[in-house]
Amino acid sequence: MTAYAYPERLVETEWVAQRLNNVDVRIIESDEDYLLYETGHIPGAVKVDWFTTLQDKVRRDFLSKTEFEELASSLGISNSTTVVFYGDKNNWFACYAFWLFEYYGHKDLKIMNGGRAKWEREDRPYVKEVPSFQRAIYRALEPDQSIRAFRDQVMDQVQAGLPLVDVRSPKEYTGELIHMPNYPQEGAQRGGHIPGAVSIPWSKAINEADNTFKTAEDLRVLYTGKGITPDREIIAYCRIGERSSHTWFVLKYMLGYPKVKNYDGSWTEWGNLVNVPIEKEAPVEKGIPA
Amino acid sequence: MSDLDRATQLEFIMDHYQNPRNRGEMADADVHVEGGHPGCSDLITMYLKFDGDRVSNVSYIGEGCTISQASVSALTEQLKGMTIQELEGLDHEFISDLIGEEIVQTRPRCATLGLDVLHASIKAYRKKQILGG
Repeated sequence: MTAYAYPERLVETEWVAQRLNNVDVRIIESDEDYLLYETGHIPGAVKVDWFTTLQDKVRRDFLSKTEFEELASSLGISNSTTVVFYGDKNNWFACYAFWLFEYYGHKDLKIMNGGRAKWEREDRPYVKEVPSFQRAIYRALEPDQSIRAFRDQVMDQVQAGLPLVDVRSPKEYTGELIHMPNYPQEGAQRGGHIPGAVSIPWSKAINEADNTFKTAEDLRVLYTGKGITPDREIIAYCRIGERSSHTWFVLKYMLGYPKVKNYDGSWTEWGNLVNVPIEKEAPVEKGIPA
Repeated sequence: MSDLDRATQLEFIMDHYQNPRNRGEMADADVHVEGGHPGCSDLITMYLKFDGDRVSNVSYIGEGCTISQASVSALTEQLKGMTIQELEGLDHEFISDLIGEEIVQTRPRCATLGLDVLHASIKAYRKKQILGG
């Protein structure tokens, strides 16, 4: 069996269970469900919420470098701390937080394979006590723009015919679904996808049976089969950038693709922009199955 | 909000999440409507029964995050005896008063899903009445 490109980026639940009291390891829960941490979490884990913790309070953007340094320091994270993320929804937001920590240059980052679902299935313990750690001194690097795409870069990607991966559900991709029935305020002004983007829902990278990542072979077939190959510059997007950070993690660390960006503006930006191209049908790809 | 207030609010939400009120289908409902979010699998189906112009019974089924499920549970506790007009007047501020402004601001879509499904249910009920269904 072919190994993942960077297997050290993925740890199993047992690995985490053996390091609950390791002061050099900080376990971070990051969920879509805002109060899930409060219902119980891995002993010693701290909470980082994608919306209230990681976002700027006014602009649509992430924490500034200074704010990120404050966050990490307050969680007792130094530049040498091993940070392990886990969460609900097959680690959607765990990967989002991982991506942001990498954006600010943290080196030793890991994802707990299977997330909360696997930890629970194995009957491992949860606690409600919120731990506190001695404040650390954290120095962030300048943002790593090589892993983040903005809309102008996405437009350049479209015009250059370079690959984009739409990781939303098929109905979001075709524009059939902007919002669910009875909830019209959800979504964007327009439905569809960015021209040229191929549809590979993020969940295809996960084994439904145990919520873990699929094997390297299966992942390679999944992405290369749609023209997403490691020799090309790739941009992944979804609705707000959380599902696509999951795919970004898979492409970069499970498969070792060197040039992958997450477009965090995603469809909630593109689908609301004036005068940008949108497709609804699957692109006609040369020799690539739809 | 003080830490104590916040703790009380969280306790209220956790109680509704872990011990949901009025949860279940209703066979003789006058109207039932399903609503939810793409992407984050919050789903609610609300059932309403009326006695004249007033709600005589309410229930829901659903799945999703702590806030969406706790919020709809808490909402249903408030509805019995209300008139249709009063139901239509319920707004986001009502939900903020019920489960806490901070929670609503943090996850507005989740917190108000139950309210939105309620409003959709009332529309469906009115339409049904007009059509004589």
